[in-house]
Amino acid sequence: MKISTKGRYGLEAIVDLAIHSSEGRVNLKSISERCGISEAYMLQIFLILRRAGIVESTRGTQGGYALSTEPSKITVGDVLTALEGPFAPVVCITEKAKHTCDRYKKCTARSFWERVMNTLSDVANSITIEDLVECYKSNIPLNTELDYYI
Amino acid sequence: MKFSTKGRYGLRAMIDLAVYSNEEQHVALGSIAQRQGISTNYLEHVFSELRKSGLVKSIKGAQGGYLLSESPSDIKVGRILRVLEGSLSVIDEDSDNTAGSESVIRNCIKTSVWDKMNARLNELVDSLTLEDLAYDYRERNGIDNTMYYI
Repeated sequence: MKISTKGRYGLEAIVDLAIHSSEGRVNLKSISERCGISEAYMLQIFLILRRAGIVESTRGTQGGYALSTEPSKITVGDVLTALEGPFAPVVCITEKAKHTCDRYKKCTARSFWERVMNTLSDVANSITIEDLVECYKSNIPLNTELDYYI
Repeated sequence: MKFSTKGRYGLRAMIDLAVYSNEEQHVALGSIAQRQGISTNYLEHVFSELRKSGLVKSIKGAQGGYLLSESPSDIKVGRILRVLEGSLSVIDEDSDNTAGSESVIRNCIKTSVWDKMNARLNELVDSLTLEDLAYDYRERNGIDNTMYYI
């Protein structure tokens, strides 16, 4: 029951984007370098995030990516479900499977899995990208990135 | 983000065993297989692990089968899942070694997101016993719960 690298790297990249957005649009190359991830993989991730409406992009020399809204309005849940799909720990509780499993109503395990799913998505939906940016700001070494220090 | 078939089928099989066995009556794998729609071969594989972990006892022979080794109200669901799935974590702990793993962002995400999700997940699965799930199963399947209620 694991969140894939897509979800993990995507979340990291979004936080990185939020941190560096005060300079304007951020290009993929710089995000990839800071996160230590290949630009090609990052591109795949950002295509998904763009389709999901979490980031916007512009082309050209001053081009790059920006969050589509304030970091306080984007939750970890938004990012993870865009990249990973719903938090369903088993396929049978997703919308599709509802109509294909003949045990659906009588299944005890299903209601347990739903509780697992709700627990995880509640946590994810309660954390915003802004929260993670705040954590970053309070943890960076004192003599770096002074423009972020209030 | 999915639980493996071992975890899913193993949990359902344990619920079945809790409902259909008692101190005198052991249950044959074939009957669990039939009721739960799981292959007997696969169940053998799962049950050998459950037996090694001490969760079930086996009775050999033609009339053989399995018994729970403890009362279902003493078996936490978390324990069953950990036997079948390993540690319950939303991320693959080992694959956290990409370049730049000293990153502040990564650490923030770890403490604010993954650790929090894991803590809530473990809290949930340890707050439920096999008897809780067996009770729910009996309710949904019209099996008398009063005999088992202490």
